[in-house]
Amino acid sequence: MSVPERSRGVIALIEDNCTSCMLCARECPSWCIHVDSHGVTEVPAEGGRPRTTAVLDRFAIDWSLCMYCGICVEVCPFDALEWAPAHAYAEQAVGALLHERERLADWLVE
Amino acid sequence: MTAEWAAQVGAVLGAEVHDDFGVARVDVAVAGWLGALRTARDELGCTFFDWLTAVDEVRDGYRLVCHVAIPPSKGARMRTLILRTLVSREEPAVPSVSGVFAGASWHEREVAEMFGVHFTDGAGVGGRLLLSADFEGHPLRKDFVLASRVAEPWPGAKEPGESDASLARQQAARGDAAASARRAPRRRSRPAGVPEPGEWGPRESGSPDPDPLAVASDRKPRRGGAL
Repeated sequence: MSVPERSRGVIALIEDNCTSCMLCARECPSWCIHVDSHGVTEVPAEGGRPRTTAVLDRFAIDWSLCMYCGICVEVCPFDALEWAPAHAYAEQAVGALLHERERLADWLVE
Repeated sequence: MTAEWAAQVGAVLGAEVHDDFGVARVDVAVAGWLGALRTARDELGCTFFDWLTAVDEVRDGYRLVCHVAIPPSKGARMRTLILRTLVSREEPAVPSVSGVFAGASWHEREVAEMFGVHFTDGAGVGGRLLLSADFEGHPLRKDFVLASRVAEPWPGAKEPGESDASLARQQAARGDAAASARRAPRRRSRPAGVPEPGEWGPRESGSPDPDPLAVASDRKPRRGGAL
């Protein structure tokens, strides 16, 4: 089925842009975004100060709770979330509406 | 709202008419609620009942809001009117207007369940309209605790670099004095619209716990405008 340009049916994750900053999970009014990450400390160069960066372990959106307000897309400082036109992802069981990051990355339209 | 309609409403209801974004609005006392609606229907001609609802105004009580209209006719546009009254929080009782507008009964049942406002002389329809029979409390009152927001851990509680597992380990270690001494206490961010545990929800009268009404009325809007 063809949908108009820039249709908003699902939110896609651009994993490379995500810094696990938690802003989307905190702003989400329906508490449907789950982010897990761990810190990795690295010395950027010989004699440099060690830096800790967060590495994303899990990113999931529960579509059974999402109200498609788009606040997460708006607040993401690194444009890691994007509206995509996919809309036909109904399921038989409510638990199957929890999409992990592999599935969220698939929604991305080039 | 035309000046002509405002003047007509003011003259018939004998009250001040306010302009609410183009809609005429009249505030009446609880004692005059039923009379005002009957007058609006019989003398103003507002025969169309649109809706009736309530707003929890915390310390001021519950505000009932009713929207009625004169249906459009040949050569005349629809004219609308909003009537409001304030019911006290201590004794939230008001005469039912289902005798004036039969359709109001449905709306009053909803308000009764959601806000705990008692409509006297109602049609006496038995059973709950929307909530299950064993549901306790009135969910649209501002001091009602949303159970899912208490039972469910907030996904935003984690800091960058934390997982559910590491957060659980920290929380388990919090009781351990040596562990708390090692780690400087960090202020955890709280979800918008959910007060701290212990400052919200029903309490025994005379309890030293904070009054949920005081919390609801004193809370300043946070970033993003959420309460």
